[in-house]
Amino acid sequence: MDFGPYLFVASLEGAITAAVLALTAVGLSIVFGIMRVVNVAHGEFYMLGAVLAWWITSMIAGHPALGFWVAIVAAPLLVGALAVLCDRFILNKVNYDPERTIVATIGLLYVIQQTTLMTFGPEARPVQAPFNERIALPWFEYGESGFQMIWPWGLSTTTYKLFVIVAAIIVLLVLWWVMTRTRIGLIMRATQLDQEMAQAHGIAVNKVYALVFGLGAALAALGAVLVVPIQQAYYLMGSDPLLLSFIVVIIGGLGSVLGTVVAAVLIGMSDGIISVFFTPTLAKILATLLVAFVLVFKPNGLFGKSRE
Amino acid sequence: MLTVNSIDVAYDQVQVLYQLSLSVERGEILCLLGRNGAGKTTTLKSIMGLLPLRTGSIDLDGESLSDLAPHHIPGKGVAYVPQGRRLFSELSVQQNMEIGLMASGSGKETREYALSLFPRLRERLKQRAETLSGGEQQMLAMARAICTKPQVILLDEPTEGLQPSMTSLIRDVIIEMKQQKVAVILVEQHVDAVLSIADRVTFIEHGVDAETVAASALLNDHSLVQKYLGV
Repeated sequence: MDFGPYLFVASLEGAITAAVLALTAVGLSIVFGIMRVVNVAHGEFYMLGAVLAWWITSMIAGHPALGFWVAIVAAPLLVGALAVLCDRFILNKVNYDPERTIVATIGLLYVIQQTTLMTFGPEARPVQAPFNERIALPWFEYGESGFQMIWPWGLSTTTYKLFVIVAAIIVLLVLWWVMTRTRIGLIMRATQLDQEMAQAHGIAVNKVYALVFGLGAALAALGAVLVVPIQQAYYLMGSDPLLLSFIVVIIGGLGSVLGTVVAAVLIGMSDGIISVFFTPTLAKILATLLVAFVLVFKPNGLFGKSRE
Repeated sequence: MLTVNSIDVAYDQVQVLYQLSLSVERGEILCLLGRNGAGKTTTLKSIMGLLPLRTGSIDLDGESLSDLAPHHIPGKGVAYVPQGRRLFSELSVQQNMEIGLMASGSGKETREYALSLFPRLRERLKQRAETLSGGEQQMLAMARAICTKPQVILLDEPTEGLQPSMTSLIRDVIIEMKQQKVAVILVEQHVDAVLSIADRVTFIEHGVDAETVAASALLNDHSLVQKYLGV
């Protein structure tokens, strides 16, 4: 295949990484932005989403699509509910103190990871996509007879991969609508801007925190359910999304949802393209280097505001 | 009636209020005067439940506020306009007022009443709070508090840094609150401006309610003001 079509395929792979990363990182970003909590266990909520998707699809007999559609609703809800419990019984008990919440979520990371290992086992497990038809993609070339459409061998994708991208965009748009157009979004933004004044105006900040922590975890789990038919469910699969999410949140600007989405597209696309042309390890190295540059030259990230 | 009964309040290990007591009736303006760091803002924050009491209690019409979580206190009819306004800066004027309305569960009538007191805000409803002038921000802070339909309103230096015309408007609104039978606790630095509208004055010194007198008594006798404020 020529370079052009090859780059197009790599970009499509990058778009899938970007879509899933945007969901996962936005979850981390809203938790930090509203609660000021650095959730080190965020990757484990992602992993739990994938593992639960496998468990739910393996429990439901019949057409594989049925199990998947149940999983895409139930897994994020279950993971979100678990996160709410973690907030109530752990983060709330340490008063959301920044240092203690980091230690607490590191502990949570190991508890979730090792519990999954003991119950789910060390094997990577596949989840069947609800649909997965291959679609050949056209390419345009300038030849002797002007522009012509060709169908290069190997230039293709699947309906499921396109679905992942579209689903992530829809979820992010719904999230934007909730944050900017609904009463609960207004309450979350007010809490983010001034927690004490929010309380002084009748907002139950602890309930908002529980909701936000649950929502952040549910978004990570949703990202994992979407990607698990392409990758596999594995008890150590949370570490890469966690690293990439931190990279994205720092580049985008701590607490900025828009910045997080832009940075997710940037990092996801470059990760996908570099992984196809070179190696995934090189992609991670370059992303980490980019973070270093951002921290040196723009410490608040691309869209972040300085905090007093 | 709001009563503060012998409260001790501390920031971690540093105690700020010592057995402080005060009370305010509906339709009354109580002014808190004292030097910087005397404990005036701490008193207001304690009433709002934003600082825990070590000892003592705070009651509104016989019902204890000190047993409530802070977010329940606005629902009981206590509103707070903090020093420095502390608006939700990235939200619009309308959204800031909406937050106040949520606390009282009230709707359009209350919003219209607040806007009738500060007509200039009506022209700025879609504008972000952080883009307003200082005077407009103070109007919004008060409008947001009025949207909670308060029985008691706590005002912490509401005229700080404002030009005279704006100070006059804020003063008129405080008088309107009094006429609406709202109890007002006012912390101010401009003593002369306060004495003409306050009913009583409580001097706070080193976290203690040193003395409470009728404001009218201070109009011709500045000895107490000199004693507690050094001016």
